[in-house]
Amino acid sequence: MTSPSPAYIEEALVLAQDRLTNDVYRLTVEATTGGSPGQFYMVRAWDREPLLARPISIHDADEGTISLLYQVRGRGTELLARLHKGDTVALMGPLGNGFTMENLHGRVGIVTGGIGIAPMFYLASTLPARSATVIAGFKSTPYAVAALLSLGVEVYVATEDGCEGTRGFCTDIFDPAAFDVVVTCGPTPMMARVAQLCAQAGVPCQASLEAHMACGIGACLGCTFPTTSGYKRVCADGPVFDAAEVIWHA
Amino acid sequence: MPETMLCGVTLKNPVIAASGTFGFGAEYGRLFDVSKLGAICTKGLTLHPREGNPGMRVWETPAGMMNSIGLQNPGIPAFLEHELPRMRTMGTAIIANVGGGDLEEYVEGVRLLSEAESIDIIELNISCPNVHEGGMAFGIKANVAAGVVAAVRRVCRKPLMVKLSPNAENIADMAVACERAGADAVSLVNAFNALAIDIHARKPVFDNVTAGLSGPAIKPIALRMVWEAAHAVRIPVVGIGGITTWQDAVEFLMAGATAVQVGTATFVKPTAMLDIVDGLERYCAAEPLTRL
Repeated sequence: MTSPSPAYIEEALVLAQDRLTNDVYRLTVEATTGGSPGQFYMVRAWDREPLLARPISIHDADEGTISLLYQVRGRGTELLARLHKGDTVALMGPLGNGFTMENLHGRVGIVTGGIGIAPMFYLASTLPARSATVIAGFKSTPYAVAALLSLGVEVYVATEDGCEGTRGFCTDIFDPAAFDVVVTCGPTPMMARVAQLCAQAGVPCQASLEAHMACGIGACLGCTFPTTSGYKRVCADGPVFDAAEVIWHA
Repeated sequence: MPETMLCGVTLKNPVIAASGTFGFGAEYGRLFDVSKLGAICTKGLTLHPREGNPGMRVWETPAGMMNSIGLQNPGIPAFLEHELPRMRTMGTAIIANVGGGDLEEYVEGVRLLSEAESIDIIELNISCPNVHEGGMAFGIKANVAAGVVAAVRRVCRKPLMVKLSPNAENIADMAVACERAGADAVSLVNAFNALAIDIHARKPVFDNVTAGLSGPAIKPIALRMVWEAAHAVRIPVVGIGGITTWQDAVEFLMAGATAVQVGTATFVKPTAMLDIVDGLERYCAAEPLTRL
């Protein structure tokens, strides 16, 4: 798949910063570079430290704006969370392959863990109405669910502390037999379980992987993941892979 | 910008993309005009393809990063067939970086690369910290390095630049040994051998235990080493190590470097090298200097 060339935008204007939960934020910036569902941007909003930009998936995009949903995990995301309307961020993207949309037909099951829900709003809004069902797992308070419901998407929630939905993991309430194709994003052990359930049921599954990255563009080979055809770059060959090709327990 | 002469090769400017940070040029070529660079060093090549290292490969540190890629590359024959034809259209000098697991692999690799017309310079990597059987092992003792350089020199019909490890016992002695063994230039420094420990997993971050540290954190040490090497040899020295701004580049040139390589800074800002080229141009015009 040949995607349009990425751009480097040194100063993209922040249009909004919304706090969704205690540690999950949605940043909306002015940019015309767009992208397709499952692609990501390298994002930087600081001078020297930390050294590297952070890869963040596209939560939503239109002709003039891009929004990014992220969870504060470390120094980089902590600095992102301090941005206000009117500040600027450096963006490089769109990067990566994105979901293989031509293979997403029929009943599409979207299984997510935690912040893995981030790319799914854009995906669900691109799919035909009522074709997608989201099964989302969270540690505690869910987020980004209301926006999915507003698209008319069915959403089933599992929370580890039982504060909402079913108590447990998303994989506890996921039955691959209900779908023609599955898309997943979340912690690696969770995706490995989804991939296993899909393989047993004979349902194709696309998994969006996460990795520490340096360049984000395929040059440094720092974010590789083992697959049945050798190490693949999460940033450039992925982040979306056929789950059957990924060697989950290397 | 004054042109720079390196081992008889004219570079548009003294700013070179460092090996391992720029692939074979195509990835960043989607983002900016790479023909504005002085040269591109290829990802480290070995005669035979290498899969690279398992586990974590990059790790951020204060003002730097560690890497343990393990010379993942398609092998020199595949490079010559698939990557080099595309590289030669990029409008900049090509420096082929070559590593090896043993002496025979180095010699055969260099011999093959020597036959390729569009390669301008061969950079001999005796300093990779991330492969077990070789790489840096050749870069620590001056007499061992001299043996590799002399053997490679006999088959190398291109200008030969030797990339030195900061883990060498004595960097000036190492540079002199390479010069005497037939090197046309030395480039330094490669990454510093370093360690990071995951305190929650209670084990090293990298499967290989140690990994190479690069970035601004190493710049002052690299600068000192370039100074020492440049005072010890008559052949050109190419400065490498945490160069992020044009001012950093000027420091290395003043320490005695003929040109500089930029690596980690490209990850920080993809167009960092273009900024450095612009900055050097403005500096030369303002001082004023006709050459660096």
